[in-house]
Amino acid sequence: MLEFMELDDDARLMLRYRDGDAGAFPALYARHKGPLYRYLLRQVRNAVVAADLFQEVWSNVVATRARYEPRAKFTTYLFHIAHNCTIDFFRRTRRVSRSEELENEALEPEVPEYQRPDVIAEFAEQQSALLAALGALPQEQREAFLLHEESGLTIEEIARITDVGLETAKSRLRYAVRKLKKSLLIAQLPGTERRELKTGRLNAPA
Amino acid sequence: MHPPDELDEYLRGGSALSRQYRSESSPAPPHALDRRVLKASREAQGKSPCLAPLAFAASVLLSMALVLAIAFGPQTAKHGDDAPRVIRAVARADAALRLYSTDPLRARTPSAWLADIAALRRAGRNREADAEFRRFHSAYPGYSADASANRP
Repeated sequence: MLEFMELDDDARLMLRYRDGDAGAFPALYARHKGPLYRYLLRQVRNAVVAADLFQEVWSNVVATRARYEPRAKFTTYLFHIAHNCTIDFFRRTRRVSRSEELENEALEPEVPEYQRPDVIAEFAEQQSALLAALGALPQEQREAFLLHEESGLTIEEIARITDVGLETAKSRLRYAVRKLKKSLLIAQLPGTERRELKTGRLNAPA
Repeated sequence: MHPPDELDEYLRGGSALSRQYRSESSPAPPHALDRRVLKASREAQGKSPCLAPLAFAASVLLSMALVLAIAFGPQTAKHGDDAPRVIRAVARADAALRLYSTDPLRARTPSAWLADIAALRRAGRNREADAEFRRFHSAYPGYSADASANRP
């Protein structure tokens, strides 16, 4: 809680914006736009959806500014909103996908665009082995990693944002780190060994 | 002795994984998106949130005034305990009508008018009584208090 701490610069900017200083917002925005955009883009893996969510998050910040109180770091506040918007998006997409599936039971079930193999493959082609491995992580593990890397949040803050216990948040990040480190090691191996490792004929490096 | 936890090591910062992640491309939001967000933030300041409580207070005051006007206003139809007050108000209005009305039809109370019609009938002036009753009926179309005796 920041009640007993000095306000950070972000919280000061947000308080100034809340109190009517429109000039405080661009500075706040400039500090956080990159990490927030990458968090969203790498979560949903679709630039159009990421842009929509990005706008939605900032709209929320603007709309709820009158109620803003610096009880936590501004980053925690911002990424909490981002987490909620992302979860809503995943829920909406799953719901639409499920209803379409029920309507077309005889047909092959539709998958949301962001989960379609061709879209994922196209996205993966444009990125490195690490980002491809990040994209392949379960969503909760990916989110834990992105929250830490993009915004420097602690395990406690990640747990609070994602509304899970400390141990769960820790476990998600641990799995993410382990898998990503493994992907880096695989990427460093010569081509033959890498292929063998992927097909399971070679043990993964420790 | 336990081997160092890879998570603790990672959380201490500066790990190879973090370095690699930070060396990746860092996409940023398109400029058009920047412009939209910044424009929305400026426009929202135009509609200051400080005005919202004022607007709310004003609407509450207006609603209370309206409720008070309905509850205690002189023109309101009342039920139950308020009925005597309503009757008094209507009686006052009726008296004022009678005192200040220039309309001869409204210058008499219905009962006085009916008494006049009855008197005409008793005097055998039925044609005049009928004409008077028609005028009475057009002036008080809903009046039902024992007017039947005066019907033609």
